[in-house]
Amino acid sequence: MKWAAVLPILVLLAMIAGCDRKDGNDRNSGTVIVFKHGKIAGDPIILRGLLDSFEAENPGIKLRDETLPSSSDEQHQFYVINLEGKSADFDVLSLDVIWVPEFARAGWLSDLSRLFPPDERNDFFPGPVSAVTWERKVFAVPWYIDAGLLYYRCDILEKYGLSPPRTWPELVAQARRITSAEKGLYGFIWQGKQYEGLVCNALEYLRSNNGDVLRNGEVAIDSPENVAALSFMRDLIARYGVSPPLVTTASEETTRHIFGNGRALFMRNWPYAWNLFQDKGSMVRGKVGVAPLPAFQVGRSAPTLGGWQLGVNRYSRHQEAAFRLVRFLTAPEAQKLLCLKVGYKPTRVSLYADRELQKSQPFIASLCDIFMTARPRPVTPYYMMFTQVMQPELSAALAGVRPPEAALRSAGRQMRHILGGVR
Amino acid sequence: MLYVLFLSMRRELPIFGVSRFTGLDNYFFLLSDDRFWNALGNTLYFTLLSVSVELVLGLAIALLLERDFRHKGMMRAVVLLPWAIPTVVSARMWEWIFNGDFGVLNRLLGIRINWLGSPFWAMHAAVFADIWKTTPFVAIIIMAGLQAIPRDLYRAARVDGAGSLDIFMGITLPLLRPVILVVLLFRSLDAFRVFDAVYVLTGGGPANTTETLSIYAYKVLFQTLQFGYGSTLAVAVFLCTGLISAGYIRLLMGGKR
Repeated sequence: MKWAAVLPILVLLAMIAGCDRKDGNDRNSGTVIVFKHGKIAGDPIILRGLLDSFEAENPGIKLRDETLPSSSDEQHQFYVINLEGKSADFDVLSLDVIWVPEFARAGWLSDLSRLFPPDERNDFFPGPVSAVTWERKVFAVPWYIDAGLLYYRCDILEKYGLSPPRTWPELVAQARRITSAEKGLYGFIWQGKQYEGLVCNALEYLRSNNGDVLRNGEVAIDSPENVAALSFMRDLIARYGVSPPLVTTASEETTRHIFGNGRALFMRNWPYAWNLFQDKGSMVRGKVGVAPLPAFQVGRSAPTLGGWQLGVNRYSRHQEAAFRLVRFLTAPEAQKLLCLKVGYKPTRVSLYADRELQKSQPFIASLCDIFMTARPRPVTPYYMMFTQVMQPELSAALAGVRPPEAALRSAGRQMRHILGGVR
Repeated sequence: MLYVLFLSMRRELPIFGVSRFTGLDNYFFLLSDDRFWNALGNTLYFTLLSVSVELVLGLAIALLLERDFRHKGMMRAVVLLPWAIPTVVSARMWEWIFNGDFGVLNRLLGIRINWLGSPFWAMHAAVFADIWKTTPFVAIIIMAGLQAIPRDLYRAARVDGAGSLDIFMGITLPLLRPVILVVLLFRSLDAFRVFDAVYVLTGGGPANTTETLSIYAYKVLFQTLQFGYGSTLAVAVFLCTGLISAGYIRLLMGGKR
């Protein structure tokens, strides 16, 4: 009878004793570092295998990896709350490409410049490198890369004797010609919902028309080139009828589904969709081609850069071990493995010439050129504020609520207010 | 709560290391902030429309479920289902139903409206999804109120020759008044602070036409990291809900006489 009372107390004591988390030091086997990241696509076993090899190479360091929800905004929220509270609960974190200047300015990331000397830097694509550099110091190392691509139905284009369009007007002409002949086919679908993806899409038009959001630190979003580019985006829906109205609510998965069901001719999306189209059972298997995004002038393609980077929490108590993990995960071997097994595209240019990768993913060679021209979104700690201004204005122009010129003027005004107001 | 009030009078931009007291500056800015008025307008429209329709529908359903019929118990359980499903789950479901291209709704109606992408329809789609979800709540509470009305009153009224409508207007409604006010209070406060139902459905778009005060405050706080102004917005929401509560409690107290 007495055991009934004592046993739960013993269990409780055992649990409390086991909760030795704050210290981060496992008394028996050296340092424990925590790697925090969003959900990795595919089987979690792959990443765990990679981390196990790190542990094998670095006896004395134990790794714990913890996942966050896959939504970028939710991860951002988590990091902001914890880093503002100077949390040391995680050591290495994965960062979306747009957060690095913000976190660096806030002093939440360790300076990784010595992990990234100039000769190392040259092996990486220039876009991600500029995205992780703030005030000439490097605050994160690019881990895997993403950029906007033009997907097209090669079987249909072949039928009409066409090759992928290189300018936007060419895309419109091809789409109109083909959709008037083929029934049940949308011309061109892309992501126009009011969210971050809309900014990625819009920049691909603005910049391919030689415009930009910021020029030399000055707000330049309301330039005539940008107005023309945004009007073209709106015309895709309203005037040319090449894009259906549903693009104003579409995000990546919506468009991927439509294209994957064979109901669209052209699609703008990230590289991840390719693997899904080539899966067994996919309706468009073997019928999909990938090309650089068109521009307003041949050769001016400006795909928006995506991808994730690895950084070290400045409040972490195990800086050296964390640095080692970052170095390990961004090394050629680790990046190659992730590419082969998970489909994450490497940030190291040299890997695109690797025989094994080319054999496993034949179109990776063409991606290399596209990634070379990928442009990051404005690299500024104000970016999160800017995107909150741009998203509704761009959405207003696309939905026909406001003419593009008024929308961009309003955005410019608000952005200048932000820049001037941070005193 | 006090910390929020404290923050609302400061300029807190942690990533820029800005942290200083600014008095009522944030509040003055609030008054001239177009986006705030847009969000307030959206929120009020959402609240008024959804609460009034829910009340009428909930009352009708409650009256129907009071009658005796077969499977009455099961019907009551079925009616409660929408309320039982987590908001995020049902919002996702509605997102697919409202889809302009392959959504079920367009298929059923035989039309092609871009529900969530059109500035006019998006707000009404959100209202509809909210009505679907919370009418059961109104119905259940009114049902409880109906059961508290003594049967004798109805019998006496019938003996006096009163028709159904007279009974409803003269007995049911007045006796239901406190219950209706309570349910209105709950629903108004909830609808005013709506977040996940709309955020999951439209994200506040298109062009901020469905952005409610809660969504605006969330974006300012967690995406632009303006903790000072974000707190000001939170205080504004608090004050508004306070006003709403005070109004209803006035009505409730007034009826007691």
